[in-house]
Amino acid sequence: MSTFQRHATRRPWPFPSLAREFQREMNHALRGGEPAYHGPRGVYPPVNLHERDDGYVLTAEVPGVRPEDIDVSIEGATVTLSGQRKVEYAAGDGVSVHRRERQSGTFRRAFELPAEIDLDRARATHKNGVLTLALPKSEAVQPRQIEVETR
Amino acid sequence: MTTPDTTEIEAREKAEVLTEDTRPGLVFKPDVDILEHPDAYVILADLPGANEESVDIHLEKGVLTLDAQVSETTRAERPRYAEYREGGYHREFRISEDIDAAGVSASMRDGVLELRLPKSAESRPRRIEVAAA
Repeated sequence: MSTFQRHATRRPWPFPSLAREFQREMNHALRGGEPAYHGPRGVYPPVNLHERDDGYVLTAEVPGVRPEDIDVSIEGATVTLSGQRKVEYAAGDGVSVHRRERQSGTFRRAFELPAEIDLDRARATHKNGVLTLALPKSEAVQPRQIEVETR
Repeated sequence: MTTPDTTEIEAREKAEVLTEDTRPGLVFKPDVDILEHPDAYVILADLPGANEESVDIHLEKGVLTLDAQVSETTRAERPRYAEYREGGYHREFRISEDIDAAGVSASMRDGVLELRLPKSAESRPRRIEVAAA
């Protein structure tokens, strides 16, 4: 279980244009467009989004990021992932690095989903270097079945 | 040694391994760090989605082969947007002769494989089991 912070108060957050782009792509998909592989957008971590009737599932590949180093916050329809990826080597003399491809550093990314999220039922799990957010839509925006009355 | 980690990470595309392969599915070349300690080499590999059971490590004739099968996540949900693809991993490393094949150990944590290759004069084919961290 990853750390899950709830922000009741509104915090100003300068959204990168990515958030809007993400939403535009998603709105396209929601209108019936084919979901496609877009590739990473330069902003870490890369994410995939799935939709169910009652919510969204957002997954992010974060190998080597400790669960305690990831912060997930949700506010309305906005999900923010932030944290740190530490690449630490055992200290000691005579250690030389032959190859270094794995990146370290900080990350922060915000997404605006098409619907508000039910904070109380949102869940974050972290397994095998993959973060999974189960994000149920808030009741108010969920489709509801309406009984047809016969007279 | 602690590397500075205040820089912002840039998301990179997973490099696809293009091999003659009859198995279905995508295979990626994992990012690795290779370190040399006085007594051992250490290889760290990013294998998001893989666990200790899905990783296969083989050392033969001076070549260490790393394979990981990651079965695509079957979801009832409808895919809407994708920035990364799921698939297996494959990478080969040419290992110097001074590795003690019997002493090679591997562990996994948070999708990162750590391989420890102790130095010695031995060089013989061997299969290595991956232990959970």
